[in-house]
This record gives sequence, C-alpha cells and structure tokens, in this order.
Amino acid sequence: MAPSVTDSSPPSTTCTSENNLQQFFVLHKALPPNSERKSTGTGKTRRRINLSPSLPESLEKSEVERAKEYHELPYLKLRMEAFDIVWSKIESTIKDVLRDINNSVFQEINHWVRESFNTIRSCGMPNFAEATRPFPIVTDPTSKQIFTGLVLTKNMEFVDDILAFEELGVYLKSQGCHVANLSSVEFSAQNGIAGCLRSLLRQFLMATVDSADISILASWYMEQKNYDYPVVVIVDDIERCCRSVLSDFILILSEWVVKIPVILIVGVATTVNSPREILHSNALRHLSPCKFSLRTPAERMDSIVEGVLVKQCSGFSISQRVAIFLRNYFVSQDGTSTSFIRGLKMACVQHFSMEPLSFMLNKYLLEKDGQALGNESLPDLMLKHAFDLPSTRRNKLTEQTNEILAQGLSELKRLQNRWSTSVMCLYESGKFEKIRLLDIICEALDPESCKSRASDTHTGMEKDSSSDCLFQQYPSLQKCSIIYRAVRKVRDLPVEELHKLLKRWGRLTVDIAEIHEKVKELQSLLKSENGRSSKQDLNNTPRRHASQSQNMIEKETKSINEKAATLLACLIRDNMQPIECLTFHEIVCFKNVDELRLALIGDPRRRIQADLLEFQKILQCSCCSRSGNSLSPSMHDTSIMYNLAQEHGDLINLHDWYQSFKSTVLCPTNKKKHKSKQSPLTKKRKGTSELENQSEASFQARFCRAVMELQITGLLRMPTKRRPDFVQRVAFGL
Amino acid sequence: MTESHDENEEEFEFSRNYFLAKELAGSGKKSTHKLSDISIVDEQELRAATADIEPKHEREIASLINSYKALYSKWVFELRCGFGLLMYGFGSKKALIEDFASTALKEYSVVVINGYLQSINMKQAMIAIAGVLWDQLKNKGRDSSGSFPKGQQPFSSQSIDSLLAFFDGPQVEENDCCVCVVVHSIDGPALRGAEFQLLLARLASCSHIRIVASIDHVNAPLLWDKKMVHTQFNWCWYHVPTFAPYKVEGIFFPLILAHGNTTQSAKTAAIVLQSLTPNAQSVFKILAGYQLSHPDEEGMPMDNLYTICRERFLVSSLVTLNSHLTEFKDHELVKTRRHSDGQDCLYIPLASEALEKLLSEISD
Repeated sequence: MAPSVTDSSPPSTTCTSENNLQQFFVLHKALPPNSERKSTGTGKTRRRINLSPSLPESLEKSEVERAKEYHELPYLKLRMEAFDIVWSKIESTIKDVLRDINNSVFQEINHWVRESFNTIRSCGMPNFAEATRPFPIVTDPTSKQIFTGLVLTKNMEFVDDILAFEELGVYLKSQGCHVANLSSVEFSAQNGIAGCLRSLLRQFLMATVDSADISILASWYMEQKNYDYPVVVIVDDIERCCRSVLSDFILILSEWVVKIPVILIVGVATTVNSPREILHSNALRHLSPCKFSLRTPAERMDSIVEGVLVKQCSGFSISQRVAIFLRNYFVSQDGTSTSFIRGLKMACVQHFSMEPLSFMLNKYLLEKDGQALGNESLPDLMLKHAFDLPSTRRNKLTEQTNEILAQGLSELKRLQNRWSTSVMCLYESGKFEKIRLLDIICEALDPESCKSRASDTHTGMEKDSSSDCLFQQYPSLQKCSIIYRAVRKVRDLPVEELHKLLKRWGRLTVDIAEIHEKVKELQSLLKSENGRSSKQDLNNTPRRHASQSQNMIEKETKSINEKAATLLACLIRDNMQPIECLTFHEIVCFKNVDELRLALIGDPRRRIQADLLEFQKILQCSCCSRSGNSLSPSMHDTSIMYNLAQEHGDLINLHDWYQSFKSTVLCPTNKKKHKSKQSPLTKKRKGTSELENQSEASFQARFCRAVMELQITGLLRMPTKRRPDFVQRVAFGL
Repeated sequence: MTESHDENEEEFEFSRNYFLAKELAGSGKKSTHKLSDISIVDEQELRAATADIEPKHEREIASLINSYKALYSKWVFELRCGFGLLMYGFGSKKALIEDFASTALKEYSVVVINGYLQSINMKQAMIAIAGVLWDQLKNKGRDSSGSFPKGQQPFSSQSIDSLLAFFDGPQVEENDCCVCVVVHSIDGPALRGAEFQLLLARLASCSHIRIVASIDHVNAPLLWDKKMVHTQFNWCWYHVPTFAPYKVEGIFFPLILAHGNTTQSAKTAAIVLQSLTPNAQSVFKILAGYQLSHPDEEGMPMDNLYTICRERFLVSSLVTLNSHLTEFKDHELVKTRRHSDGQDCLYIPLASEALEKLLSEISD
C-alpha cells in the first residue's frame, strides 16, 4: 500500500526502504559544480515528473505556473543576492550598534583588567624554573586571590548576552589580553572540571590537547610571546553553571594564579549576591570581585530599532502590522533582542522569497540621484507586476515605463528619509518622557493616519496654529497616542533641555531645508532669550524688577516651547508619511504578518490537534465533508479516534474506545456518534454478519495503528501497570 | 488588542476543557470494561492485518503532498539564508522531506538521520557527514585541501569537538559548500535526550551545515532552550500535515492490543516455564496454586513458600529457592511486593483465568 506520493516522486525515494532502518545514510551527494549551473533545466524536468495524472491539472497549473514564472527565472538568484547584501548590511549595523552601546562598559572592564594584572604582578613573578614545574607555587594565602569581574546582565534570558560576551572577548583580545570564552554548558557535572580545562587549553593553545592539565597552560604562558599579558577567562552565565565544577575550577585557578595571572569575568543575571549562593565558601574566599553592568534589553532594542528600522540602513522596511507583531513578539515572548533580530531576519527572508521585485532593493539602496534602475530595464512581465501593485493601482499611473518606476522609487526613498527624520525628531522629544522608539514606530507606521491626512485639505504650514489645533485636525493622532505625548512634552521642557533638543533637531533635519531653517530660527530665538536672561542675572538689578522680568522671560520661553511643539507637529504632518501610503512601497516593505507569524511561532500542540479534528478542511475530500459534524466511516482512522477521545474524561477506557471506534467504522449510514457509543456491546452482538468476523482483525489493526499514531504525536499516554485498561489524554481543547 | 483578547479566550477555553474532562472522569462512573473483554485476535494475525490496512483518501493525500511542492523553492531560499526548516503537522513527513531533498537540494549533499529509531550513534553520523563534506570541499577547489590540515587524519579518530570545528570552518565563498542534514523525527526516541539535542544544535549552527527536520510530538518544542531556538537551530516553522501513515516511524511501537494481553503473556510464560527444570516448574506451580486459592491476598510470603518447597523436597536450601526465583523474576514470571504487614511476598502478574490456562498448559 505504498502511498501514491512516492509514485509521483523520483525513483531515488522509492528505493530507500532499506535505508529506513539505517541510523543514517547519505541520500545523495552534491552535484559537481558545472552541472549545478543549469538549475533551471532540472527544475523543468522535475515539474514534468511531478504532474501525476490523478491531479486536477488546471488547478495545479495555474498555481505552480505562476509561482514558476517568478521563482525559476534568473531573478530568483538576483533576489538571493539582494537578500545577502541587505541582510549583511542590517547585521553589521546591529553589530555596530551593540558594540557602541557596550563600548563604555568594555573600556571600564579593560581598565580594571589592567589594574588587576598589575596588582598580581606586584606580588612577584616566578622565575622560569619555578614556573615550569608541574605544580603550583606555594606562597602566602593572600596571593591566591582571583580578580573577578561580575558583569550584571540585567536580563533573565542569557541569549542576548552571549553576543555581548563574545564581543567583550574580541575587544579584550584587541587590547592585548589572552582571552578564553567558556559557556555555562561547559561547566556541567557531566563534563566535569576536565571539560573546562580542555576548552581553556583549546582556546589558548589553539590545538586539541588530550590531557586536561593546567600545568600545560602554565608552561604555555611562560613562553616569551605570551608572557606579560593578562589571561582573561570569560564565563557567560554563572547561574547556569554546575556549582561544584565552577567551585573546583576557581580553586584550581587560585592555586595557579601566580604562575598564570588569570582574571575571571562572569556574567550574572540576577544580583551581585548570586556568586555567594552558587559557590562553595572555600572557593568564594578566593574571589576579589568588582561590579560592572551592561545596558538593559530595552535600551539595546531602541538602538537596534533606530539603526535598522528608522535610519534605513538597508532600505528594507516593514509595515505597521509587522512592526506591532514584532513588538509583541519582543515583549511577550522573551524580551530578548535576539528574538527580535531573528524575527526581523525572518521578515526579510520572507520578503525576498515572496516579492518578485524585491531584488530591486539592492539597486534602490545604491541609487544616488534618481537612477534606481541604472541603465537596465525590466522585462515586461516584471514591469507589469510593478504597475499592478495595489499602491500603484491606487494612484492610477497612466504610463507604465521603466522611467516612471525609477522615478517612483527615488521619490519613495526621499519620502522615506523624511519619515525617518520626523520619527527621530519625535524620539528625541519622547526620550524626556521615556517613550520607547519601537512604540513610536508602531504609531508612525499607521497607514490610517495618512488617509485621514489626505482627506483633509492640505493647507500648508499655518503660522498661528498651535500644536493642539494641528492635532485636532488629524483625528488619528488622538490625545492618548504616544506621538501626541511626545509633542506635548516639548511644550513643558525647561530651557536647557529645549536648547539641547533643538540642537539635536538641528542635526537631524539637515536634509530638510525648510524645517532646518525653522529649527535654526528657534535656536537663535532661544539663544537671544538666554542671553537676555543671563545678562539680567549678571546685572545686579533690584530684586522685584528681576522677578518681574523673570516672569516675562518665562512667558517668552513658553512661547518658544509652543513654537517648537508646533514645528514638530508640522514636521509630522507634512513629512511623516507612513510607508504603506507610498507608491511602489511593496517593493521594499514587508507586510505579510501572517506568514511571518507562522514561520516564527510554530504551534504544534494546537495545530496537530486541529489537523486531526478538522482534517476535512485540509484534505478537502468530498466524502467526509458532507457529513458535517458527525463522524463518518470514511474519515481518517486516527481522526475518528481522536474525535471519539474528546468525549472521554482524562482517562479513556480502551475497551469502550475500541467499541465506539468499531461501530463508527462499521456504520454504513451516518449514525450519530452518541447513539453508537451508548450501546457498543449490544451492537457487537447484533452485528453478526460474516463481514464483521472476517474483518475483526482488520478493525483491531486499524485501532492499534490509530493508537500508535496518537502515541507518536504525544496526545496519549499509554496504559500503566496500575491502569492496564486505560489510556490517558494529554491535551484538552485546542 | 484583539490578539490578547483571543489569547485570554483560548486560555479560558483550555482550562475549562481540562476541568470538564476531569469532572467527566470523576463524576460519571468510571467504565469498568476490561481490555480482555475484546476477543483479541492472535498477534501474528494482527500484525498481518496491520500491514494491509486499506489506505483512505489516497488521492487527496497525494494531492495535498503535491501541493507542498510549490513551496520547495521558498524552502530552499530560507535554507540558504541560514534558517533551519522544521516541519510539523499530522502524518509522516518522511517521504515529503526526502522528496524535497532529492529534487530541490541537488546542489547540496544530503545526509539523512532517522530519529525515529531506538538509538542513534551521533558520532558515526557526524563522521559520515564529515566524509561527505570533505569530498565536496575537495571537488570545489584543489587549493582548499591546504586549508584543512585535519583532513589527513581520518575523521573516525577525531573528537566530536574537532569534527564540529571542521564543520564550522570558514566558507571559501558565500554559501559555497554545505551539507544538508535531514533529521526525521528530531523529537524521536533516539534523539530525545538533552545531550543529543545540544549536539544537534551545535551541529546546526555550523557554517557548512544546513538542517531540515521534522517533529511529530505536540510537546517537541520543550526540547530546546532559547539559545538553541534563536541562535543555533534558527527554525523556520512549516505546518505541513500529510496524513500519510506513520509506517516506519511506528515500527518500534508496540501494538496496544497485542501488548500486555493475557493470552499473550500466558503463552510466553508457558514457553519459558517449559524450558525450566521440573523442580523449578513445581515451585512455580506451588506459587500459582497459592495465588489461585488466595485471590484476595497480595501474594505468598517468602518463608511460606520455602517451607512448602522443603516439605515436598523441591529445594534443599534457601539458596536454591532463590536461584529459581531469580530465574522467574528475570522472565517477569514472578514479582515481589511489600505485604501490608511489612514482609516481602511473591506473586505472579497474571489474572486468575490466565493463570489457570497456564497451569493446564504446563501440566500437559
């Protein structure tokens, strides 16, 4: 009963039955490089094989054919290349951002490492003969101290910090230290102390050493080129290490610390007290700790989002729904930037694998002055696709030429830059309210806000309108919105902070001349105000007069605050166009949030049950869907069984289950399952037809297989000795 | 907003279902039907019947699996971009994945690991992968042989760490040279251990390795921690139910109706007993007789048995009796349990009728 799947598959899979019981086997080897080139050729032959006669041909053709048009053209390769370029840009941006954010801590740590090293050295250096003896030097107990940096990660999840510690290692290496990174997995009871030492030796000596002997390390350190540099051992997460192994490790290091000036850096996720709880007291007294802290995940996130999504390092962008999904994924899943970056990468991959024109991102990124396409022109099929995008149809472009597309793309880029400038200006003022950038983005990407703006007649910048008025005109920016709060904050800023803010705006708006000018204007206004106030402070004017003029100055700064807020509101109104409102945005913007969710978050527990309970929806067979809710004998056996199991409590009596299964399967008409369940025994006695006797074995076999399949999926627990006649249900409801 | 609402709803639904199920079990009289009430056919017959169960919905299943072929190019794309593919959904995905590997992954070498088996020697598998990768690297360019000095040493004598280091070697060109490792049922019995998963995760994160795996168990994600999921496996999930029968995957699962059923165990017990000495058989008969005549007791006290056996000249010392009992216990014919008054007692783990049947068989 080989399923016809294998019939339509190439012969290589049909003859692998003997491979099924092999632990592993080589399915095939890579084609030599030259035959690999003609991948389109193989694609064609594959398609011919795939078309099994049993399939409704027309349906398959239209789907597969269309997919093929886009995927099997050389453009697929272009898209892959474009992905590589875009993602490597994003990745390096993230790396830089994270390095920058950690830089100050790293410098601090480096400084401390140097100091500690000097302290160790000041205790005296062993001579060569001493140092190469395979046992530690016995000196006074005070010299057995290990300088230990406790790096607080402020993060319950350690994934984010793995990278940070790797970077720290690289940084310290570049500063001339010998560095080894040990992961907490290496401090397991199973590997024991030998595992750690071996890993140390491997990293310092750059070679595999079979014996785990720390004296090898000591003699390595005595070599001329290694001497005079501190040895740093980084352990990423102390809380996940095995207590005794870590304690032993510290004891050994402390014995040897004169010969090998080891400085320990450990990551601590909870509090500074955790080493006290984890280590044995005799190990603990050898530590002389020093505390450092990394930035919080939220701060890290803001910098990543700024670098990747706002500053448009790659040209790739995401829609509001995707942004909200990623934010929720970050907040509700585990709060690690690693998961966010993974989500972003997935979005990027999905975009490039699904959007036929995404390869243009590469050129879009490089283009300087409206030459998005360079001299190349797109084939008609692609061009048609570009002008068939919803955003282009909305704008009813009459001409469909390469030039229009190129222009559209550079306009898109220009508007995108303006959007990021506006968002950054907002973020700067939002910082005073501790508003997260990701939250601002989720609002700033809202395509609805753009629609309401478009419906409003565009009146340009009104000099006298206050920021409040401006917002009233745009109902989507409601009072509770984050953007509103950020703008409001500008009005309440004290002079010094307003000054700082304007300075930052000045830097941000260099590209938008009209806004930049206004910022400059406000800056000079503020400066003159400041000048006046400070002058008055210097002059020893009478007290009453001073307070009066102080009042006036305050009033005037308030009006400057108001002006700044209005400026920001105008900036938002005129420049912060969400990407989803722009023509051709589909080429650079990923919108398919459902696809992303499915790829990122597998939900086997729910999905596998749903497969069984609603299998008709997936198989789309004609025989079972008719019967509606009741179970029909034509259904998949395991599906029948799982449906029947739903009627039991947490324990299922195997006998009852078998009888109801049998009666469901036997029943030629679609009897209600309840009915058949009530009288399984009577039915059994009644139905004495020969057919039943013959197929008793087959019913039992089908029952056994269905139980086995449910066991494989983990939806059942098998009978125990205590309850030999019952299986246990594991999942309750989807 | 609506999403979180939905989630709450779901959680509520879940807990309600759970308590409903509990209630159903508690309140309604628990069914007392025994599995032995079904007239179970002989195991051989059952196995034969299992082998030719008539498949249902063959056409629909075939076209369902065929419909996934449109996704192949997307899968390759994602694989190439550094994601691992994780297939889940009801039904055997073995044929699907192998078809995908042999049609769409021609430019990679593909090594398949059958995780549904009872045990797997990962080291051997890794050595095989290393061999394949080595061939591939050699084919790509002659100059690369210089950069892999470990190639001189046979892979079989290398440690797992150095094999992993070899897999994680620098890529000469971007995505130039990769081995795709297909793991069927990565949550299977052989690979369920933490050390296997750690090893697989480290393997998956290597630069020369791409991974395609399938899971069948609903709780499979519990095998992995954040580091494994986010940075090592880097799964891209695909829900691809096939409804194809778990033929190979289920090969080592016992058939529920064949397993632990009385006729069966009585039969095996008879075979074991017949191979023992007459004295040993007689000891067993005493124990069986006692159990049949005292059905409510928890078992026969040890010294009681010893006294009777000595009286009938079946054993001369406690040592001989113990050697008989060890033999019985090894074949699971006899078990011990603690009597309510504290002493150990012996019993035969068979129902009364099965025991009677057994006694009649060995007396013949």
